[in-house]
Parts: sequence; structure tokens; C-alpha cells
Amino acid sequence: MLRRFSENPLRLPHLSPYVPGPDDPAIFWFNSERKDIVAEVERRVAAAHAHDRKALEVTLNEAAYHEIKRLERQRDNESRESLGYWRGLIRRIARMSDAEKRKALERTVHHMAKDVAGNFDTRVYQLSTKVIPKLLAGVMRPSKLPRELFNNGAPLISELLQVEGSIEKLHALSKKGALVYVPTHASNLDSIVLGQALEQCSLSPVIYGAGKNLFSNPIISFFMHNLGAYRVDRRIKSALYKELLKTWSCVMVERGYHSLFFPGGTRSRSGLIENHLKLGLVGSAVEAFSQNCVRGVARRVFFVPTTINYALVLEAESLVEDWLAEEGGARYIIEDDEFSRVDRWVSFFRKLAGLDAACVIRFGEPLDPFGNPVDEEGCSLTPEGHAIDPASYTLRDDQPVLDGRRDAAYTRALGELLAERFRSETVVMSTQLVAHVLFRQLVAATPGLGIFARLRLRGEVSVPREELVKQIGQTRDALRELSERGEIHLSKNLREASASELLDRALSIWNGYHSRVAARDLGVEVTAEDPTLLLYYQNRLVAFAEAIAPPEQLEAAREIGQIGVKGGLR
Amino acid sequence: MKPVGIVGAGAFGKGLARAARRAGNSVVLFSRFPQELGDAGIEVVDDLAALTRSAPIFIAVPSIFVGEVGRELGAHLDGRHLLVHVSRGLVGAELRTLSRVLREVSPVRRVGALAGPLDAAALAEGLPGGAIVGSAFPEVAAAVRAAIGGSSLRIYESSDSLGVEVASAIVGLAAIAVGYARAVGAGPSALAVMVTRAMHEAAAVGTELGAKRETFWGLAGLGDLVAATLGDGRPELAVGEALGQGKDVEAAAKIAGANVESLGLAGRMADYAQRVSVPAPVTSTVARVIAGELDTQHALAALMARDVGKE
Repeated sequence: MLRRFSENPLRLPHLSPYVPGPDDPAIFWFNSERKDIVAEVERRVAAAHAHDRKALEVTLNEAAYHEIKRLERQRDNESRESLGYWRGLIRRIARMSDAEKRKALERTVHHMAKDVAGNFDTRVYQLSTKVIPKLLAGVMRPSKLPRELFNNGAPLISELLQVEGSIEKLHALSKKGALVYVPTHASNLDSIVLGQALEQCSLSPVIYGAGKNLFSNPIISFFMHNLGAYRVDRRIKSALYKELLKTWSCVMVERGYHSLFFPGGTRSRSGLIENHLKLGLVGSAVEAFSQNCVRGVARRVFFVPTTINYALVLEAESLVEDWLAEEGGARYIIEDDEFSRVDRWVSFFRKLAGLDAACVIRFGEPLDPFGNPVDEEGCSLTPEGHAIDPASYTLRDDQPVLDGRRDAAYTRALGELLAERFRSETVVMSTQLVAHVLFRQLVAATPGLGIFARLRLRGEVSVPREELVKQIGQTRDALRELSERGEIHLSKNLREASASELLDRALSIWNGYHSRVAARDLGVEVTAEDPTLLLYYQNRLVAFAEAIAPPEQLEAAREIGQIGVKGGLR
Repeated sequence: MKPVGIVGAGAFGKGLARAARRAGNSVVLFSRFPQELGDAGIEVVDDLAALTRSAPIFIAVPSIFVGEVGRELGAHLDGRHLLVHVSRGLVGAELRTLSRVLREVSPVRRVGALAGPLDAAALAEGLPGGAIVGSAFPEVAAAVRAAIGGSSLRIYESSDSLGVEVASAIVGLAAIAVGYARAVGAGPSALAVMVTRAMHEAAAVGTELGAKRETFWGLAGLGDLVAATLGDGRPELAVGEALGQGKDVEAAAKIAGANVESLGLAGRMADYAQRVSVPAPVTSTVARVIAGELDTQHALAALMARDVGKE
């Protein structure tokens, strides 16, 4: 039963078809366009392979090989149903005529596209925007649940979630083309929180690819499926499937569907700000713009670099353990982390209750696909501030043309810019600052030790509380200077609270939610109890470590600055 | 056919103009001063706006001016234009490439670097030779080939634009080292060891910056260095020799008679290498010689005294 729901998520029957209004965003039209979109995606993917016999055979072989490998490992119902098809295909490929191969390709692509396609139900959307925030708020403060359910004002969740950035501009641009939100990725809550932020700012909902593992919970699956999420099965390794996902996203962006991609790929295991971006889906949105130019469609594409900043991360412990284990071979998908446990959700949200702005979402300045800023009219701006036509980037000999290599180069350059924006749009939270100062103290107190040796020093390094508060104050002042230069942003709390309050706030956020104590306040001194958790939270500041360190801890800050450089810990 | 645009009427700019004419193209050449080139196919202009109808546009000015020129020129350009610079510099402590600078100061994204064993005189006279275009955009290399390539000038291409630019800049440093070592009496064996190690250093620093290692063993790196050591009249070689004869940097630069990009680069490159923990003894020795911290007696000895190990 559960499996049936997760593989074929429930859709509510429509007694009368929903007719979207003229001002409704593209996603409200999705259900009426879905068939057309699926067919277009299938047509493009099939057409890309049909002209080359050899390539077609290689594609089918490759898809079958990877699927057989995956299904043999999986040994579940899907294996029993599908393994026979793939084994039969791989046996027959060599004897197939060209027409049969094309047919097999079409069948395979159709099967994959059907699995990917999502749904958008306005009733589920309306339900979720009205009820979910209230339920979440109720979980946080159970005594207020009845009041929350009947409360027409802003629910608690909006106190909890602060949204910053040029929201007015996003409103204006959403009428001119597709907004492609590209946020940092720290938690599975990200897409939910971002959806809530959009709703809070009256911005249109987005379509996004969600890992199939998230669909294993039938309730989450129901909401995700009916709120425009398309399913991405990360276990499928074939190039054909990846191409289909890119084509899906390209067609959606072309048609003006506002979209959400996490360019970091999976959640940041380390807590570091992502700088190695996977650009497949970003590239599909760049291509979407070229496709529109070639067809003479004036619809534009705007990228919105976004940072999602949490004071407390739901899955922090599993993520950082996974990162540290990566040295010995990573688990790619964590199936059993805090996200899948209802009790962790409850204690997470309870912990956050009463904290203002426990999560800050910051929408950065929107960019065109070529990295130029844009004005409210959607015009691309040169560094001198002149408006130029973004379609000029697709011209060759004054004609718009499609060129995969060219668009890949644009995408790489855009990726570099996005990584820079992730840094400068980061909003530092109190937990990150306190963790950083404590961790820096630990590094300074243990010269010559490697990171792994330091992580074993549980509860062995203590700092006099007075000294720690002084350092938190100094480091916050240094962060303020960076923020005045536009190199980073600070949460309201970090800007306004005293250093001592910041310390207390961070300790109270961690303790009681995480199963391990991150740091313990013994009155006279504060002990770094769990260097691993501290490392995770402080990693957000690694790129700024040198710039914010006092002179006597510069050496320690330099060491911290090397975390994540060259792709590993030393 | 659009005319080929060139900014800068120094020896290299003029050489490019002649090469473009030989390839059958008309040329729009920007110069702040009046020029008499005796060729009706070369239109000399003093307004950057006149270059908007050109493809590609070469920027043949010293690296310190590339940003400024790029900004001024960029005000007249948009996404359709192709820019190609010919400078050997890297900018700032983070060693940013000039292609990147051009992308930052102008709206142009399709940018490339022309590098390799290409000297101004050979370009002007049409002597057989070759060069490499580093650009992530294939149309940039194609445009350069159409602009100046031909039977006597082979234009190769590399998508590793970063590698091409870093290699090209480091070859300048290595050429100073070669000139210097010759002047202090190093023989062929010592020179060979030094230039080979210098290229390893270049590749290590380059890969740290994100370049591909193999680019350093191609035309932009090894090929260019071979041309420099064989004596293609490179000013860096003359600077190195003057330093080796005990002259100070100002005097050495004056003897070379050209703007030598590598003089400013050596210290920054050595600092960068140290920051990212890449051993770079040749670069740091050149930097110390230029800074006047190491005299002719000790420079080579300092290099030779280092521990040896696997290549």
C-alpha cells in the first residue's frame, strides 16, 4: 500500500477542471499542459539520439547496463517488475533493426518521463499554504495550536522565518520570464522553507526536482507530488535519464515555469558554503533562454542566487558524520537521517519556538543567464549600467543560434559567479559565530594537531567565559566591517544582541536538540564538548576565517581557512 | 565580412593588423595617436565606438591597461562581441586572468587569449609560425583563425583558457630566469634543469588555480618557452641578463625597452604559491632577485642547493 502511494502518489479527483486566472503564474496551468510537456520532452530526447545509429545503440546499452546493475542490487518489487525488460533489451539490441531500436528508446524515455512528471493541484497548494504553517507553529507551541488554526493573521512561522532581498524586483521580474532560484542547500527542509518564504512574500510557487527517497513517506510524497515537485531518482545512473531530467527542466523554464535548483547537488555535508557547483540543471535553464531566442520568444530567464541560513540544522549530526566518513568512501544518499524521523521534527521545531528569525532566507540580486545584473524591467545591465539585450549572447553572425558548447561555457562562468554570490549573500547566524570562535580557540590551543585528532578532543578544551565573550564581540565587530563592505550579511540578532547574549542563545539552541552537547557553559568557563558539531556550524565561516581573526589567532584562522580547500581534511 | 578590430598600435597591434590584411581582412585599428601605416585597408580610428562593427576585437595593450581599455570599450559593446587579448599578465594577489578581468569590466563574455610563440616582428613580416587561442568558446578561436590565420600562421585552440593565460604569464618569468642564469654563467645542463623545473612549478601553480596540467606542455607553455630560450628577441630575456649582470630592476627594464609584465608578477606569484603550499623555488628566486634581496653570487647557488628527489 505504502509502496503504491510512494510510486504513484495520490492525486485528488477533479470534479470540474480548474481554470487559471490571467494573472496566475505558469505553474497553475501545469496540469493542463502536462501531457504536452511530457510529449515534448520525450520528442526532444528521442530526436537527440535518432539520427545516429551507433550512438543510439550505445545509449540503449548504457541505460540497460546501469539499470540492470541497480535493480540487481535493489532486489525489491521494482526489480522483479523491471529487471526482465532490461535483460531482454540488452540481449536483443544487437539483432534489432533501426526502427526497433528507436521504438525501444521511445518506450524507455516514455517510462522515465512518466516517473519524473509531477502534478500541481491548486487545492493542495491552497491547503498547504494555509494549514502547514499553522500546524508547524502548533508543533512548536502546542498550547497555541487551537488559536493558530483559526488565526487569520501572520502565523508564528513568519516570525521564525525572515526573508530578505529585493523582493519587489522579483515580483516585477516574475511577469517578464522564468525565475530560477538557485539556493544553498543545507537541509531537506530547504524546499519547504523556501516554498514558505515565497508564499510569505506573495511570490509564485516553483517547480523543483526532489529526490525519490523523499517520496518514501506517503504524506510528504502527496504534498511534494501535488505541489509541482518532479521526481529525481538519484540511483538511476544512465546518461539517458540525466539527459531527460535536463530536458524536462529546460522545457519547463522555456515555458516560463519558475523553478528551483540546488546547484550544490546534495545537501552540504560539511556546512561549508558550496563552491563546487553541479551545473547540469543550471545549464538547462541557460539553454532554455537560447531556445526561446532562436524561436523568437521574448520570455527571459533570471537566476536568483539565494542563501538559506539556519541557526539550527535539523540533520546537522548525520550530515557532518557523513562528511567525515567521506574520506573512507561516502554514502551518497542518507536514507535514515533526522529528516525521516517525526520525533526529530517535533523536537527541532519545539527548539525553534520563541526564537525570532531562526532561519533567514536571502534572495540575492537577480542575474541574467550571462551573469549580468538586471533592472526591474528585466533588462540586462552592463557594468556601466547600460541596458543591453541578453539575446545578443546567442547571436552568431547576427543570428540567434543554439550551441551546446557555447552555452556550457556560459554556464561555467555563471557557476563561478553563483559561488561568489553564495559567499557574499550568506547571513551569519549566532550559532555559526559562537561555534567558529570556540573552534578557533580549540585549534589555537592544540598547535600541530590535525583536524581529525582535534575532533577526538571531546570536552578537553575550555575557555574562560569572559575571554570567550570578548572574542565573540571582537569577531562580530570584524564581521560587521565585512558586512559594511557588502562581503557578507549578519542576522538581526547577530547585529543587535550583546556578545554574552549571543553565546547564551547559541548554547540554548544547540543543547536539548542535538543528541550530543556541542558546548557546555560551566559558569566560569565554557567547554567545547563536541568539536564535530562545532566544526559543522563554524564551517559556514571558513572562507572568512582569516579576515575576522584577531592577530593572536591568525595562525589558527589560517588552518581553519584550509578546511575544504583541495577537497578534504588534513 | 566584418573588419578585424584592434586596440593598441604598438608593435604587436601593428603586427596583428598586417597579419589580418594578409588573411584578406580589412582592419579597424584604434590608436590614441595618429598613425601612418600606408595601407588603405587599415582604418585608424581614435574613437573606441568605431570598433563595435568588428569581429573579433584584439586588445593589444600592456596588461596594466587591459582593465581600463576593457571598461571604456565595453561601454560600446554587448553580448555579440568577441574579445581577444594578447597580454601576458595576471592581476592582483589572486592572479586573476585578463580574460576574467575583461568579463568583469565589460558585458562581453566570449573572451579569449592569444598566446604562444608569437612575436610582433614575425607577425608583421608574415614569417612562418604558430600561436594558440585559449577560450572556453569555440567561436572565439574560429574567429581568430579567420582574422589572422593562414598558410604561414597556424592557430591552435584550447578550451583551457585559464591554463593558456597562466602558462603564458609564467613563461615570461622563466625567460627572466633563463636570461639571468646565462648571465651568471650557467651552462646548458643547468639551464635545462631550471626551465624544466620552472614548467613543473608553472603547472603546479596553474592546476591550483584551476587550469589543466597538460596545457603547460603545449604551445602556451613549453612551446613558448622554447621560442624564448632559442632567442626570439623576448624582452624578458634581456631583463634577466641585465639583472644577472648586477643591474637593478629599473635599469634592466630600461635596457629591455618594453613593458615587461613578469617583473610585477614574480612577487605575487611567489606569494600565491606559498599561500597555497605549492613549492615554487624558481619563481621565488626570481622574485627575490627582482626585489633586490638576492645577489648574483647566491641566486643560482640557492636553487642548486635544494634537496633533490623524484621528478
